[in-house]
Amino acid sequence: MASDQALRELMREYQSGRFEAFDEIYASIAPALRRYLLSQSRDAAKADDLVQETFLQMHRARHTYDASYPLMPWAMAIARHVWLMDRRTLSRRPWAPDDVTAMALPVKAEAASYADRVEVRRALGKVAPARREAVIQHHLLGFSFKEIAERAGIAETAAKLRSSRGMAQLRALLKGEGDK
Amino acid sequence: MSAPVELRARLAADYQPVRALRSPWTRMLAILPLAVIALIAAPAAFEVRPGAADLGWVGVWGLSIAQSAIGLFAVGAALRESIPGRDWSRGALALWLAIPIAIVLAVTFVSWDASPVILRGDWWLVAGVCFAGSAATALPLVAAASILAARAYPTRPAVAGALLGLGAGLMADAGWRIFCHFSEPSHVLSAHLAAVFMSTIIGTLAGMRMYGLRREKHALDEPVSAGGDHGDRSE
Repeated sequence: MASDQALRELMREYQSGRFEAFDEIYASIAPALRRYLLSQSRDAAKADDLVQETFLQMHRARHTYDASYPLMPWAMAIARHVWLMDRRTLSRRPWAPDDVTAMALPVKAEAASYADRVEVRRALGKVAPARREAVIQHHLLGFSFKEIAERAGIAETAAKLRSSRGMAQLRALLKGEGDK
Repeated sequence: MSAPVELRARLAADYQPVRALRSPWTRMLAILPLAVIALIAAPAAFEVRPGAADLGWVGVWGLSIAQSAIGLFAVGAALRESIPGRDWSRGALALWLAIPIAIVLAVTFVSWDASPVILRGDWWLVAGVCFAGSAATALPLVAAASILAARAYPTRPAVAGALLGLGAGLMADAGWRIFCHFSEPSHVLSAHLAAVFMSTIIGTLAGMRMYGLRREKHALDEPVSAGGDHGDRSE
């Protein structure tokens, strides 16, 4: 991913008339948006559609971006909005545990040490939603706890707590599956 | 990862340079002329409250200007809420609700302490006049602030609408209290505060309606699907 400063500059160029900047913005942030939307939708095809919808909404809302702030929180807020609107629009689908095995969620850092990624994905799907979101945003997408807290409308300590409890739950689930 | 051809073509079709919105706190100043009109409308159209001499300039105009300023900042907060990624946390929203209520309470009891005027008889009629007058004064402010908020991209339109409605209600009531003859807390905290809450509800509904209109407008567009021509997904 391009640096924060580079992304701000690209978005400023996109606002001011250089359409080609879109390609660079897309290449830089689409993977992170896809990971986030995949973590929410647990459906690779749906996540791909939501990524496209997010970029469409970013295009429509491009005048609201202020280059004195980082681009990612702005883009992620729109992605989250797109996801919530999609969920509201469509009737809620009952979530099947098998969906998690279809996730193309990249697993890194601590989780990567586990031999079987499918198990990690399955276990992650069983973690409570709020905790799972905190774990994914912090450990996979690299957001700070402060950013996570601002986005979820909670205190920073609560974000840390969700993440650590999510990781603890994930470890316990993996340990349980490993013992089987 | 490169952009899908379909998406790129669609964006290119209506692409044009845009000017970034100014900061919410700058944009809120567009409401200032209406806020001033709301402040002076009732006393100019009717009269200044009879107990003005007891309250003094600060007690009459000073407190109303302070209340109006808080209302203006609440509109600024709504405009900030309308920017993606700049939404307020729950704690901050609680403060945005608590501070204006505290201001109204303080203004009410300071006024009552300095110039106690009890409302005798026709309680409902007077309360109705104050409620309706204050709420009606807030309507243009709600409309103007809603247009400003809609020019951004509120991801929580109901929250943005509630904040701007609250701000509009405070600004409208700041002017109405200069005219209202009665400082009795039971009257102020029912009729006047109810008007502020009514304005908040109207703002919330306006925010939700505007969001609905935006969705209807874009519902006419073809949905973008990633199922067609994908870009290279390799990262």
